[in-house]
Amino acid sequence: MIRSVNGNQQPEKLVAQNVSVLYEKDDKSFLAVDDVSLSVQEGEFVVIVGPSGCGKTSFMNTLAGLVRPAKGKVYMDGEEITGPSAERGVVFQQFALFPWKTAYENIEFGLKYRGISKEQRDEIVRKYIRLVKLEGFENSFPHELSGGMKQRVAIARVYANRPQVLLMDEPFGALDAQTRTIMQEDLTEMFLAEKRTVVFITHSVDEAIYLGDRVVIMTARPGKIKKIIRITEENLVPDRRNLNYDEVVNLKEFRDLKGEIWGLIKAEILEKHIL
Amino acid sequence: MGHFAEKFLDQIYQEKIVLSLSSVLGFIFLWYLVTDLLGLMPAIVLPSPEKVFFTIYEKILVPVGEEKLFGHIGVSLVRILVGTGMALGLAIPLGILMGWYENLDAIASPIIEVLRPIPPIAWIPLAILWLGIGLGSKVFIITIGVFFPTLINTYLGVKFVEPLLIKAAQTLGAKDKNILWEVVVPASVPLIVAGVRIGVGLGMMCLVAAELVAASSGLGFLIMLGGDDLKPELSITGMILIGILGLIADRIVLNIERKVIYWKKE
Repeated sequence: MIRSVNGNQQPEKLVAQNVSVLYEKDDKSFLAVDDVSLSVQEGEFVVIVGPSGCGKTSFMNTLAGLVRPAKGKVYMDGEEITGPSAERGVVFQQFALFPWKTAYENIEFGLKYRGISKEQRDEIVRKYIRLVKLEGFENSFPHELSGGMKQRVAIARVYANRPQVLLMDEPFGALDAQTRTIMQEDLTEMFLAEKRTVVFITHSVDEAIYLGDRVVIMTARPGKIKKIIRITEENLVPDRRNLNYDEVVNLKEFRDLKGEIWGLIKAEILEKHIL
Repeated sequence: MGHFAEKFLDQIYQEKIVLSLSSVLGFIFLWYLVTDLLGLMPAIVLPSPEKVFFTIYEKILVPVGEEKLFGHIGVSLVRILVGTGMALGLAIPLGILMGWYENLDAIASPIIEVLRPIPPIAWIPLAILWLGIGLGSKVFIITIGVFFPTLINTYLGVKFVEPLLIKAAQTLGAKDKNILWEVVVPASVPLIVAGVRIGVGLGMMCLVAAELVAASSGLGFLIMLGGDDLKPELSITGMILIGILGLIADRIVLNIERKVIYWKKE
């Protein structure tokens, strides 16, 4: 049996128990993630923030099954995660698009392994192309697309595959401010409609507060959990997911939360001299 | 690109063609200068260009040895095509499997590492002993020449595919077999084709070497015969044709390369 980490009543979709990740580099090994325990409930949106190089990505990779923890265990639906699965879709920071496939074919990729017919695949791919506003670029190859467009293809590719869990590593990092806002709102809309479990890494504190049910603040390397802040009706605003991004970020409550979170991250950066 | 820019580029291109053409004509003129015009080189050492052109014309009509000129070209062409085809048919699948399956790599690598540094030409005596002086031995040498560069590049291409692409495929639900054919092989195509290009160049060398040593037909045979019969114009004829053949072969591979890696940034 897995010990419940947060003792909440919702079913736990993902559980990380005392996870440590070690990396080998030039015959030296260093600790990237140090004893992190976190449980993510079904349908929850968890955002991880922290200083650069704090092991956020390494931690997420253990959830994806792409990296085995040196210590500790990760579970999905109570079963230990031992490898990657289509049920845990990953939006990589570096897009990871197949350069020889068009935008359309990239988005279609995972669907082929789900035994979905060609007609249905076409329907799904077109739906997500519309969603990420890439109409007219279906037949473009990744090298013909801008950074933001590539990122949208990468996002659509994972959305279209309908994983139970979405793991997103700074997915909006390469987008310009307007597109980013639109994508954040779309993600919120989709999250509300489909209620999937999301773990999301970002550098942007604004994004973290706007999107997250909980914001996990990590320490500088080796990454530990410094604090978890729950974004609720009490400390932000009721029904904020139905508000626009601009409305939310201008609230006084939002600025207070931002100040608190930013303060925690800044303390890490200054304390460990990683600037 | 605008119409104007296109026209402008066209013009530059045409100017370049003029330059290239002048260089070829200049070279022939220089050749003419040292032979016919100034008589610096006796015809028995370096025949004049018109003598070579006449030889080409003559040999199209009159047989040398077993074949007329186009016959010799045809023979060499068949050898290079069959040899290259066999080499690619063996090297590409083996390279893919060796790059993907570590056990196969461990089994095949030591043998390949020892065989690879042996120059293909060193196989000529055995090839003749085993396969005679006909098509078989020539194809064998060419196959060896094309095989190794293609194999090594294919192997490296598969081995060093961007790991992130494999991770992406895994998290999208692709299994190992799908990943090999849908991700690893397409991702290695640029390196494979680069290997083929090196291989075909080496294959041309092997062709001539094999035909020089023992053959009764082919362009290498013409080159050798010219030396034996003290007819340098015949050797030069063979050399020019090999040069043209090699150039065409390289252009064909280059064109294939452009077609199969359409998705790469220029």
